[in-house]
Amino acid sequence: MSTAGPLPGSHGRRNFLSRFVVAVQAAIGGAVSCVVGGAALAPSFASHTQSWQRAAALADLADGVPTPVTLRLIRQDGYRQVVDRRVVYIQRDEALGVRVLDSTCTHLGCRTRYDDASKHFVCPCHGGVYDMDGSVLDGPPPAPLRRLEARIDGTDVVVQV
Amino acid sequence: MWTALLDWIDSRTGIRALRAHALDEPLPPGTGWLFTTGSVVALLIGCQVLTGIGLSMYYVPSPSLAYDSLRYLMSQVPLGALMRGLHFWGASFIVVAAVVHLLRVFLTGSYKAPREVTWMTGLVLLLVILGFSLSGYLLPWDQKAYWATTVTISVAESSPVIGGVVANVLRGGDELGALTLGRWYAAHVFLLPGALIVFLVAHIALMRKHGISGPISPQAGAPVPFYPWHVAKDTLMMAAVFAALFTAALLLPAHLDEIANPADADYIPRPEWYFLSLFQLLKYFPGPLEVVATQVVPGVVVGGMFALPFLDRGPNRHPWAPSRRVFTLLFSMVGAGIVALTVMGLRDAPVRFDPNVWGPQSMAGYLTAEDGGNPCARCHVDGGPASPVQVTRISRDEGWLTFHMSDPAAIAPGAKAVDPTAEPMLDEDATRAVLAYLRRLRAGASPPEVPAASATVVKTLGTRCVACHRLDGDGGDTGPELTHIGARRDAEAIRRIVTDPNDEYGDSMMPVYGPRLDAGLIAAIGDYLAAKK
Ligand code: FES
Repeated sequence: MSTAGPLPGSHGRRNFLSRFVVAVQAAIGGAVSCVVGGAALAPSFASHTQSWQRAAALADLADGVPTPVTLRLIRQDGYRQVVDRRVVYIQRDEALGVRVLDSTCTHLGCRTRYDDASKHFVCPCHGGVYDMDGSVLDGPPPAPLRRLEARIDGTDVVVQV
Repeated sequence: MWTALLDWIDSRTGIRALRAHALDEPLPPGTGWLFTTGSVVALLIGCQVLTGIGLSMYYVPSPSLAYDSLRYLMSQVPLGALMRGLHFWGASFIVVAAVVHLLRVFLTGSYKAPREVTWMTGLVLLLVILGFSLSGYLLPWDQKAYWATTVTISVAESSPVIGGVVANVLRGGDELGALTLGRWYAAHVFLLPGALIVFLVAHIALMRKHGISGPISPQAGAPVPFYPWHVAKDTLMMAAVFAALFTAALLLPAHLDEIANPADADYIPRPEWYFLSLFQLLKYFPGPLEVVATQVVPGVVVGGMFALPFLDRGPNRHPWAPSRRVFTLLFSMVGAGIVALTVMGLRDAPVRFDPNVWGPQSMAGYLTAEDGGNPCARCHVDGGPASPVQVTRISRDEGWLTFHMSDPAAIAPGAKAVDPTAEPMLDEDATRAVLAYLRRLRAGASPPEVPAASATVVKTLGTRCVACHRLDGDGGDTGPELTHIGARRDAEAIRRIVTDPNDEYGDSMMPVYGPRLDAGLIAAIGDYLAAKK
């Protein structure tokens, strides 16, 4: 079509070119969008990695009594590292091995405290009460205290975080 | 149903008329491939906008995080490196495409009446694109970015009268730092895009107002509708350029130097290739003549381009027409000059930084920080109070790190009074070496392999000798370079000089090491350096 201009009878060619233009431009746009969209969305679907961390020495744990321990969790937050602190109660006795409970109340997230007199975990916020094993005894909490995987490694207790 | 919906939308918005207006423009017969250059620029602009938005989700314009955020994007985020690659190479492609477009407009004389203003908006767009490149260059906050920007700002500073003020505005103060990064970032993502939109809209509107200039001499025949006849050519051209860009981004990942180190005055700054001609020009106009290279020559070239449609007013658009010859010649000369200067600039390009090529200083830092029984490992161990050094990817500034290494307990400067009589944990030389090592870690290097036998030698070289001597890229320039010392001296001579330089040179600035270092170590240093041919 260098000098002649479009021919009246070139309808088929016109249609073909239109499709070609739409297809190629969509492919270019699609390629860029896939790269940018992929990079933008990728972290949303990244899986959480778990690791074992030393929590306490066995020798420091009184038999049968839940002992509060502050875990220092170093977590990768994108391009920076942050340190989270989480209080867990570690309980150990012959029959049970170790049991590690997250002290966070399952109602609205206050920190529960172990009350030695009643042998319960009590939440100061709305009166939630949990048994030694974390199950709910009273109050609004909808679920038992979260239990962390734990095992004894030599002379230490390690937990999965 | 579908048609009914379209009819309704059309009746409320007039979208069909808009589409017809946009696509059915009749083009002069013979409008061919030469007239696809503008579309390529438009494609690349669109690509830069999209990848730029993607990058901005990760990038943080702060000296302590900019580098780490990019390093994270490139190494941890799927497709992140490709996205940055597209943006990085897109910057080069866009400059080439804009210049090709300008060349085409010049050769076909398309700037002539009534298209003078179209030409001038195009020139502004070219300057905006160069502004994007310049401001984008600083953002990664690596060595290259930092030092090239230092040069850019001193160029601005050399302007007569207003230089100082301009430089301070560009820097946001009198030091290059956090405030500089903030304003260059704002320019790159807000101010320049604003200018780009305004002038791009104006450029395209004017192009439509006056129509495409078409072939140099009018050709017979009926006008060709823009769509799909010419759009097909545009599209094919865009596809070819995009394929090239994508390939470049895939095969050649965008570069990221070591993190900016303002203390490293030895770094040889180098601009992106499209500013190399100016950089090279600077070398021919030293001292007070610098303004010639930085302002006069570029000013005359840019000014001449803006004035071109008013100087070359004859109707003939052929580049070799008698009325145009002189302009074509001048234009070619300027073009040839720019190409020649660029080629010369490219020839003394520095070696590409590779974080895995270790110098003695960073290796000494590695040995200090990671070797068994070192002071850092008291806390920085698995399960210890702090993560291992290799894991922490410390993103503190060097002032903090220096402080921490002299008094590790003070992890928050100012929080605890420093005991002035306490011995520092690491001395200054060791601290510098550890900092060099941490920069490597941050640049993504894997640990070096230092043979156990030469560990002490490397540690000594990397902490003491590099204070004055350059060796394998590390060190100062007070003393002679040692990288190829083995070619000039044998082991025995080196041992003698280190033991007492005055023996060899008479009165030497170099300290006498005989009494300070173990004789066996000095001999080992001699052997080690003598092997550096
Ligand atoms: S938060 Fe614990 S009871 Fe409401």
